[in-house]
Amino acid sequence: MGEASARGRWLSGAVTLAVLIFLLLPLLILMIQSFTAESHLSFPPTRYGVRWYRHIFTARDWRGAMSISLLVAIVVTPAALCLGTAAALGLDRGPARGRRELYTLMISPMVLPHIILGLGLLRVLLWLGLTDTIVGFVLAHLTIAVPYVVVMVGASLATFDRAAEEAAQSLGASPARALWHVTLPMIRPGLIAGAIFSFIASFDEFIMTYFLATHNMTLPIQIFSSLSYDVDPSIAAVSGLMIIVTATLTSLLVARGQVLGGGKAIA
Amino acid sequence: MLGGEAAPARARWLLLAPTALLYTVTFLVPLILLLVFSVATWDRGVIRLGFSLANYRDFFADGVTAAIFGRTVRLAALITGVCLVLGYPVAAFMRHCGPRMRLVLVVLVVSPLLTSVIVRNVAWLLILGRTGLVNTGLQAMGVVDAPLKLMYNELGVVIAVVHVYLSFMVLPIFGALISIEPALEESAASLGAKSWQVFWNVTLPLSMPGVAAGCTLVFVLSMGVYLTPVIMGGNFVVTLPMVISEVVRNQFNWANGSALALVLLLFVTVLLSASARLQRRGSES
Repeated sequence: MGEASARGRWLSGAVTLAVLIFLLLPLLILMIQSFTAESHLSFPPTRYGVRWYRHIFTARDWRGAMSISLLVAIVVTPAALCLGTAAALGLDRGPARGRRELYTLMISPMVLPHIILGLGLLRVLLWLGLTDTIVGFVLAHLTIAVPYVVVMVGASLATFDRAAEEAAQSLGASPARALWHVTLPMIRPGLIAGAIFSFIASFDEFIMTYFLATHNMTLPIQIFSSLSYDVDPSIAAVSGLMIIVTATLTSLLVARGQVLGGGKAIA
Repeated sequence: MLGGEAAPARARWLLLAPTALLYTVTFLVPLILLLVFSVATWDRGVIRLGFSLANYRDFFADGVTAAIFGRTVRLAALITGVCLVLGYPVAAFMRHCGPRMRLVLVVLVVSPLLTSVIVRNVAWLLILGRTGLVNTGLQAMGVVDAPLKLMYNELGVVIAVVHVYLSFMVLPIFGALISIEPALEESAASLGAKSWQVFWNVTLPLSMPGVAAGCTLVFVLSMGVYLTPVIMGGNFVVTLPMVISEVVRNQFNWANGSALALVLLLFVTVLLSASARLQRRGSES
């Protein structure tokens, strides 16, 4: 058994290594190319610099898309956090009957084809006269961000000990006070994860925004509409910037997760 | 404490209300509208509301749409198969890792998912394109004379979609593997089963719920891909979502487009609920 099992381990290890290279190499190469100082992309670049990053921060269309993307994400993140947390609390505290069905309904935008959601939302926003507006983008991004919060906060609530909250209430705290001072601090990891995923979901979103946008563009839409046969260095720089933003946020999350894991190990 | 069942039930609805309101605007009303439009008729740019099943009939009868649906199913199945072959060993490897290594692997496997679909496609363009890294590299080494066709075909689409959806295969399988009692495998081995027999007769069957969940998820998500076939497939790979977008955005035929969207939605929903039911039965028995 031992020898054959070791062979199995070796095989799965080799596949894992190959898969990791496959997953990471494209984004790594894009990052390297985005720091070219030449006027065309090549690999590896002969000269490095932040020339194209400087370009995208000064060019009008990229700046415009950048500010729309940021504005939408900054509105969506707290809004999704409030809605999703309330929904997760409602599911957790409500009667057990129907909980699973409601949960499935709440997170269904995660798995249903976004093209259908985008199409339907376009139809409604055409009637409301809200296509190509920030409000429309926010509504679209909220729909895909809220499920992340429901999942993350829901997971935190599932491990949360209700006794502390009940103790606070029996000592005279109102339900709202108990929620604010006891429950929310204890589910903070879920809240932070939910906020970070909401921001990333909004910042990265393509297909629903694509259906709504005509002149106002978020960064992903602006990249798509500037894409031609050859990839322009400014596209590489914007893509690099998007990777930097999401990678920074993700690593915050991972770092916090490790701190948390360490804390649990001590306790 | 709060007065029986009624109070928590009311609190629940109050807490769910904001999200319910949002979904009504962005989800429920849109679906109802799509339903209404899908049974309307389209006459050279004018939508006439009414009740006609012609749009659905066309789906199966026009000879083109059903074929594209079939090709989308085939593409999604291909993507699912590749994800399974690559994802299972990764999940199996993760099972025997320490907690820190596991965390690192989960983050790395999920990382494409945290990258915008457009950024991932730009990255693959730089690698698989005519003047991409692979072709310039191979030509510089003299391995090939003319650039290989690595994209603007199904190969490019499969590579780029597997890249992102692999995580949806790895995580459920890992979840199933981690809940298997190692004692089961050890006792099978101590009874004389060879290691491949242990895997084939014990580990693999016990991990099937994870495999089924992963396959369903990857398949369903792959049925909905739009941007990747547009960029990586050029005009050579056509998926149902591309047709939907074309029909609505360029022909303004909301009647036909809504019917296509609803057929896709129905197909996906039936698959997801069948899979969920199967999972539940598995976990209850």
